[in-house]
Amino acid sequence: MDELRKRAKELLESKTISVVIGYEEGTCNRTRALFVEKPEEASKLIFDSRCVLNLATYITKQEVKAKGKMAIAATIPVMRSIIQLAYEFQVSDKNLLVLGITPESNLMEFKDLLEVETYIHKFEIEINASYREKLDKLAGMTQTERWKFWIDELSPCFKCYACRAACPMCYCHRCTVDFNQPQWIPVPSHELGNLEWHIMRAVHLMGRCIDCDGCANACPLGIPINLLNKRLLEDAKRHFGGYQPVLKGDHLMSTFKPDDKENFIR
Amino acid sequence: MSKIGVFVCHCGENISATVDCAKVAETAAGYDGVVYSIDYKYMCSDPGQSLIKSAIIEKGLTGVVVASCSPRMHEPTFRKACAEAGLNPYMCEMANLREHCSWVHEKGDATTEKAIDLVRILVEKVKKNHSLNAIKVPVTKTALVIGGGIAGIQASLDIANSGHKVILIERDPSIGGHMSQLSETFPTLDCSQCILTPRMVEVAQHENITLYTYAELESLEGFVGNFKAKIRRKSKSLDEKICTGCGQCTTKCPVKKIPSEFNEGLGKRTAIYVPFPQAVPNKPVIDRVNCTYYIKGKCKVCEIVCPTKAIRFDQEDTIVEAEVGAIVVATGFTVKQPDFFPEYGFGKYPDVITGLQFERLASASGPTLGEIRRPSDGKVPEKIVFIACAGSRDPAKGIPYCSKICCMYIAKHAMLYQHKVHGGKSYVFYMDIRAGGKMYEEFVRRAIEDDGVNYIRGRVSRIYEKNGKLIVKGADTLLGAMPVDIDADMVVLATAGIANEGSEELAQKLHTSYDSYHFFSEAHPKLKPVETNTAGIFLAGACQSPKDIPESVAMASGAAVKVACLFSQDELTREPLIAVVNRQAAPVFSSCVGCFLCVSACPYQAIEKEEIKNRTGEVIKTIAKVNPGLCQGCGTCVAFCRTKSIDIQGYTHEEMYSEVMALLNEY
Ligand SMILES: Cc1cc2nc3c(=O)[nH]c(=O)nc-3n(C[C@H](O)[C@H](O)[C@H](O)COP(=O)(O)OP(=O)(O)OC[C@H]3O[C@@H](n4cnc5c(N)ncnc54)[C@H](O)[C@@H]3O)c2cc1C
Ligand code: SF4
Ligand code: SF4
Repeated sequence: MDELRKRAKELLESKTISVVIGYEEGTCNRTRALFVEKPEEASKLIFDSRCVLNLATYITKQEVKAKGKMAIAATIPVMRSIIQLAYEFQVSDKNLLVLGITPESNLMEFKDLLEVETYIHKFEIEINASYREKLDKLAGMTQTERWKFWIDELSPCFKCYACRAACPMCYCHRCTVDFNQPQWIPVPSHELGNLEWHIMRAVHLMGRCIDCDGCANACPLGIPINLLNKRLLEDAKRHFGGYQPVLKGDHLMSTFKPDDKENFIR
Repeated sequence: MSKIGVFVCHCGENISATVDCAKVAETAAGYDGVVYSIDYKYMCSDPGQSLIKSAIIEKGLTGVVVASCSPRMHEPTFRKACAEAGLNPYMCEMANLREHCSWVHEKGDATTEKAIDLVRILVEKVKKNHSLNAIKVPVTKTALVIGGGIAGIQASLDIANSGHKVILIERDPSIGGHMSQLSETFPTLDCSQCILTPRMVEVAQHENITLYTYAELESLEGFVGNFKAKIRRKSKSLDEKICTGCGQCTTKCPVKKIPSEFNEGLGKRTAIYVPFPQAVPNKPVIDRVNCTYYIKGKCKVCEIVCPTKAIRFDQEDTIVEAEVGAIVVATGFTVKQPDFFPEYGFGKYPDVITGLQFERLASASGPTLGEIRRPSDGKVPEKIVFIACAGSRDPAKGIPYCSKICCMYIAKHAMLYQHKVHGGKSYVFYMDIRAGGKMYEEFVRRAIEDDGVNYIRGRVSRIYEKNGKLIVKGADTLLGAMPVDIDADMVVLATAGIANEGSEELAQKLHTSYDSYHFFSEAHPKLKPVETNTAGIFLAGACQSPKDIPESVAMASGAAVKVACLFSQDELTREPLIAVVNRQAAPVFSSCVGCFLCVSACPYQAIEKEEIKNRTGEVIKTIAKVNPGLCQGCGTCVAFCRTKSIDIQGYTHEEMYSEVMALLNEY
């Protein structure tokens, strides 16, 4: 992506931007996040199909914010995260410039977040076919089968919190699990405690998760926790007409609308 | 270390009949931190309260659990007793052994076990409780009265005369309500307008009353003492300040055939109109639906003839924002129309009319100048039939209740007819005569005995037209259901009094409740008849259920006193059971991350932003802050906050957690 490297270099040279967040070549044929602060290092920036890590995770970090104005190489899921984060007052035009990367891998610089919002609304959040199949299978199970499925999947979780670390929406300084006076969600790893943690996390993400699969990709045990979020995404569509991140407007989970179908309360 | 006292009440036999109170007290005595535990016949009695007080003083209690009835009634009693003995009242909790245990379970060990559990939960909670202090909020000493019928008028005058400001809003162009339409009033037969008009004028002239006619409530926010109302003043197409009420426009307006609402369709009005001659304010409004200018863009006759140039065709609705401390709802009622009754011809016979239409016929200011003439051909009816309970007391019609006023106004109507049409014959079909009230029964007897009205106990099955007569087919149940057919010239239906259209919508705007008939609900059918479930909102008149003028006025004065009581304080004391966002030491300041998703979750708009600044005034963090005046302690934000940064005082996470654990742990 020569365009990206060139633009990053310019931005850093002109000092309009203090840090450019993008991807670089990592080990074992993987890519990783790169924070470019010196113009000459812009050449390390890469972009290809391996770059799926949601970089929006870094823009809420104190140590990154402290560097000054950030620019971020953002694919569509990353842009969605950015808009949701802006809605939640975590970033703004003041400290962030979006260097968009279109599905065709072209650079698309946005003047402001409003432009980003308009752009991402051209794309629906869609669940792909393989996940579709898994969701349908889960929906087809009896309650007991589904319970067993989740107990089996979640009991090996040893609470490394990699999912939380990979999630751009998990930016809270104090996560519910870290709240220990009282400790509503138990810290040790055990069947029910694990279930509590993951269900709590899924619910906290409802109406906010933009389906980037960051959590599932980060899980060292390969637990498909994103199925919970995807199911909620579908429920949001079914019961409330779905959602797209917006800069201003109603939050799905806290606004009552007379035309909500509400047919799940029976 | 906590020193908790447990006080188990027998509630006479209410609790002790099924719960072993002595055992509950004994078991509680064994809990960690409990230093005193006792059972007693009536904890709420003076000696009962003394037990608590002396234990607080003698044992140095740091917390009290009273295991008795529902906190709804006696929580204030016990908290006050604790405060009197020097313990912070919020260190006193109640375990509900009556409603939650003894009343709903049989006598037995399991019942006593449950009572013990309920006590243990609260012992654990009280250990975590913190002392709290009551919150003071200011009171805006202006009342909003909605509806300018006799009830709204009376409430406004009473509040205004007690020295407080009143904003009265009325949907129609004039105040007066149904009473202004009435001819004469039972049980004294004095002229309705004559007693009403002076009060209407008093409202308009009162220095403490701001009157907005042709206005409705747009929205309401806030809470007792501190409401914010938005009032929509519909455009009258008129500059009221300039208009002198000369009436040139209303005489010259070419659209003259609009059925007059005031005359219940029996008379006509123009497009620019004053609803009736005694209207307050006595200034016209343009009915835009019927005005030629608004329909076709041409006419403007009124503008041309108006000597003061007061007509404003381009005037728009305006929204007035008002801060008020209390609200009186006095929006009245309405009546069912004849088209509701298939058996009486679905309103297709012009001479089958409603009681309200009869009022207009009998009224000196009405379309016939007080002569009883039938609408179809203007003839004076020689035979007239009045039908009581038209719709009322008929579950099949969805109106199982009694409309209450009809028996009385039918007697009045029949009497007025007999007085006005000498030699005329009048019949009343009734189910029962309900004439409870001072001089009411005497009034009905007068109609029957002095004026010779024929009362027939029975229902009318059908009305149909034959040879220019209305054949009323009924039965006389006092004569063994003997069929009675009357060939009448006119029939008057005492149609059911029903809730106004849109009353649910208004109730929703006010966050108050309404009953299954869409009348506004009072807070308690006996002890709180003028209060609603929302503090600071009161009811007056027929909006709560159909009622007559004396009752409406009495209720209005009652509501006014409630408002005056509220306004007699400069500050309201509120329970401190509200949400707070935590604060921590720098550099964190609070675990709140400032996502502000709680803002929209709060149903009372109580959450604001708070900027934390450093010494140089630079904003370092923006976090949520709960406005203690607005928060109602509902807890929605607590459930919503992902970082668990919000606590409800008196129901903190720690307190609730200790309750749950008290149930789960072995003791
Ligand atoms: C045929 C008939 C005869 C009667 N005869 C007698 C009698 O002889 N003696 C007697 O004591 N009683 C009589 N009554 C009963 C009497 O009419 C009522 O008791 C009285 O009108 C109730 O007064 P109110 O102010 O509660 O309601 P209303 O008179 O209905 O007044 C309500 C007012 O509120 C206004 N309003 C409604 N909704 C809104 C809103 N959303 N915003 C703003 N304003 C609103 C209305 O326009 C109206 O002006 C009779 C009733 C009828 C139907
Ligand atoms: S514009 Fe014409 S129709 Fe309309 S109110 Fe005036 S005179 Fe009547
Ligand atoms: S508890 Fe929270 S949500 Fe409820 S009123 Fe108070 S601030 Fe609003």
